[in-house]
Amino acid sequence: MSIQNREAFLNNVASKLGRNRLTEPVERPTYSVQPQWRVFAGQSQDELVNRLEEQCEKIHTVMKRTTLENLNATLTAALEDYNGQSIVAAKDERNEQFGLSSYYASLKEQGKDVHVWDVSKGKENIAIAEKADVGITFSDITLAESGTVTLFNNKGNGRSISLLPQTYIAVIPKSTIVPRMSGAGKHIHEANQEGHDVSSCVSFITGPSNSADIEMNLIVGVHGPVKATYIVVEDM
Amino acid sequence: MGIKIGNAPFKERIQEGISNDFMRGAVSSAQGRMRTGRLTAAEELGDWEDWRVLGEEIRSHTLTNLDYYLQQLSDQVVKRGGKVFFAQTAEEANEYVQNVIKQKNAKKIVKSKSMVTEEIGLNAAIEQAGAEVIETDLGEWILQLDDHDPPSHIVTPALHKNKEQIRDTFAEKKGYDKSSKPEELAAFAREQLREDFLTADVGITGCNFAVAESGAVTLVTNEGNARLATSLPDTQISVMGMERIVPTWEDLDIVVSLLTRAAVGQKLTSYVTAITGTRLEEEVDGPEDYHLVIVDNGRSNILGTEFQSALHCIRCAACINVCPVYRHVGGHSYGSIYPGPIGAVLTPLLDGYDNHKELPYASTLCAACTEACPVRIPLHEHLIRHREIIVEKENKAPASEKLMMEGFAKWGSHPAAYKLSAKMARTALKPWTKDEKITNGPGPLKGWTDVRDFPAPSKQSFRAWFKSREKGGNK
Amino acid sequence: MKVSLFITCLCDVMASDVGKDTVEILERFGCEVDFPEAQTCCGQPAYNSGHVTKAKESMKQMIRAFQYSEYVVGPSGSCVAMLHEYAHLFKDDPEFAKPAQELANKSYEITQFLVDVLGIEDVGATFNAKVTYHRSCHMTRLLGVKDAPYRLLNNVKGLEFVELPMCEDCCGFGGTFAVKNSAISEQMVKEKSEHVTETGAEYLIGADMGCMMNIGGRLSRDGKPVEAIHITKVLNSI
Repeated sequence: MSIQNREAFLNNVASKLGRNRLTEPVERPTYSVQPQWRVFAGQSQDELVNRLEEQCEKIHTVMKRTTLENLNATLTAALEDYNGQSIVAAKDERNEQFGLSSYYASLKEQGKDVHVWDVSKGKENIAIAEKADVGITFSDITLAESGTVTLFNNKGNGRSISLLPQTYIAVIPKSTIVPRMSGAGKHIHEANQEGHDVSSCVSFITGPSNSADIEMNLIVGVHGPVKATYIVVEDM
Repeated sequence: MGIKIGNAPFKERIQEGISNDFMRGAVSSAQGRMRTGRLTAAEELGDWEDWRVLGEEIRSHTLTNLDYYLQQLSDQVVKRGGKVFFAQTAEEANEYVQNVIKQKNAKKIVKSKSMVTEEIGLNAAIEQAGAEVIETDLGEWILQLDDHDPPSHIVTPALHKNKEQIRDTFAEKKGYDKSSKPEELAAFAREQLREDFLTADVGITGCNFAVAESGAVTLVTNEGNARLATSLPDTQISVMGMERIVPTWEDLDIVVSLLTRAAVGQKLTSYVTAITGTRLEEEVDGPEDYHLVIVDNGRSNILGTEFQSALHCIRCAACINVCPVYRHVGGHSYGSIYPGPIGAVLTPLLDGYDNHKELPYASTLCAACTEACPVRIPLHEHLIRHREIIVEKENKAPASEKLMMEGFAKWGSHPAAYKLSAKMARTALKPWTKDEKITNGPGPLKGWTDVRDFPAPSKQSFRAWFKSREKGGNK
Repeated sequence: MKVSLFITCLCDVMASDVGKDTVEILERFGCEVDFPEAQTCCGQPAYNSGHVTKAKESMKQMIRAFQYSEYVVGPSGSCVAMLHEYAHLFKDDPEFAKPAQELANKSYEITQFLVDVLGIEDVGATFNAKVTYHRSCHMTRLLGVKDAPYRLLNNVKGLEFVELPMCEDCCGFGGTFAVKNSAISEQMVKEKSEHVTETGAEYLIGADMGCMMNIGGRLSRDGKPVEAIHITKVLNSI
């Protein structure tokens, strides 16, 4: 049985609320205030990149700007920063468009250990990710205000890539940047209403992992990656 | 463990808290940081009052239509391959989880921080089912290793411990041999727990907010442990209090934005992770078997009452972080896994007045909590309502207090009696008065003068002065 | 303008000078002040302790006492906030709903009345001393009066103002809390009086005698050379 005890449970909820069960779809009210749309309203894409950069400083994240032509070089520099010898990367249709497929091939030729997520390898992908120095994915929606990359994890972009390696690099097409989380929420809400299923895991990632559980001291790097780099690519 | 922690009477717990200097220092500095963080974050965001109003409206709308949204949520989760269990009680929830563990023949469970699982005592139930359960949030792991010390704060559960105590616990239980530097302690936890994540059979999480429209369960964390617990084990169980739900992803944005700012002053935490059902065809990580357990455990009794807005709580602990009473007595003094102002409101509602009748009085009603709450729960008003119920319905006020209040009513409703007492006050207190002050007052005044002086009543009451002035007397 | 003084039981019995100062300030700005003798206590001690039925007896007395007043002004944000709450508490009472709402509408705390109703920010006072100010919780959070006392103090000549550290924190009074939970109250007032002492002020000014008796009592117990006084004493120093 996929759902158990629902009727009695919800009947009780309704009766405590002093009415019968709701059978018709509930209309969401128009809320009296909507301050979320005022944040960074009217800012150009370039201004949003600046906002993102300001926030990156606060979240212990390195942000680099680059062009499509220079993306490879920028990635190479970032990998050097992390002394990245083994790399796990998402399989993404944008790999071609951004020249990453050939880049990964060239890294392999240079003797680096590069694994692009491969469904046919099953759980082995996870074991590889666990050993990798660096995980690389694209950002699907980028939130300037909070410095967040949003990933719609799927069969090519496994959850482990941005999670298990010691360090994480997000490639951010400039066109994916929106002012704040409201843009992502609206996008997913509207897609859902149009009948598109949301991905099995939506990851909003804001810099490296951290904790303040010991005497409220900020420790950067706990269970998730201990360092993170964002590379913003001019794609507009 | 359940909602109630410890068996010592309230006054003893308070004394223990007050005399714990390390804890008080830690709490005080933590409060300072979190309060500053919250205020700065609110200021940077701008329109904070509008955000609070919006948060309140979303929570209020959701709770008013809770049966609909829970139905929608469960339909969506099932559509995405998950199973949903509605648990009226803690026992039902625990039994369901035990059954899943037994069916899977699971031996090792990794768990990310969750207050509702503390509330229902899930860990004990899992151990009963013969499996090992490992708390993976750094703070929770510390507490678990330290012989299941209870949490003292809902966001930073090990706030009452210092790094030397933590190092000793790690050394004793896990053979740790490095320093008490927080970074080294955390690195040790990463290394130890990573192995557990990779080998666990089941991952258990709580739920910050479920999204009804799509069946997502959202986890708001910084360490990444909730991501690991939802990515690696093949079986996942999410346990949610039934009120932890929003209608849509647009609403999720608002409540998450309020939560992270109000809790720690972050614009967003490092990870906000929304899990929907099982992993899809060809996906490698994420669970193949997904269970959502929706827990009532007394919550429905709050619906439709004057306390309904207490269910709007988004568990940010902003009220705890501004509470001066919490600062001085610490979390354990409340005798509940939910401490501070929200704890003093929720605990008696979920667990009855018998064990918790002192909690609503553990507040000066200064309303700092109400002012800080990001979804505008009138916490101090709820505390007054609790007091009213304790006095007038439960009849639990001390006899001496009842007597005094009867006297008060007569005094306050009879101006002649009031006037006489105003006139007599100075004379009546004369035996205890010295140099215009009282340092060892009688009766109820003793509680006052034990810790501070009480002034002698004025030589002439105001009303006497006003009267003589009207007659053209002294000015 | 006719103003009825709401003295508050605490000032009536314990600090009658506060009432005298309040009357004189109001008169200085042309108010005709009367004192309805039938007033007693706003009921807060009983109300906040949960004895609501008992509290209402006193509240009804207050509603009757002020029913013919044009303005009701009192030297305590906390007690005035209590009068405001009457509107809610009696909303279903056929006899008292209307006068309770009226009382709420016409009641003001003294600094609020001076600034918001009379439009006065400079009362022409001189007070040559170093002072700090305790912003009482009920006055700021329940009544919503945050700026008025600061504005008035700002215009007092000779006054050297030092901000109180952690000024947003409660002093630990809380009415019956001070007695019922005296162990916690002690920690709070101890911390507060330490902050007051840190400022080096000669006077701690406040607009609520409950808080002033609490902090002042602790300062006195600790032998600190700081005197806790009501703001009307400063505003009436001409």
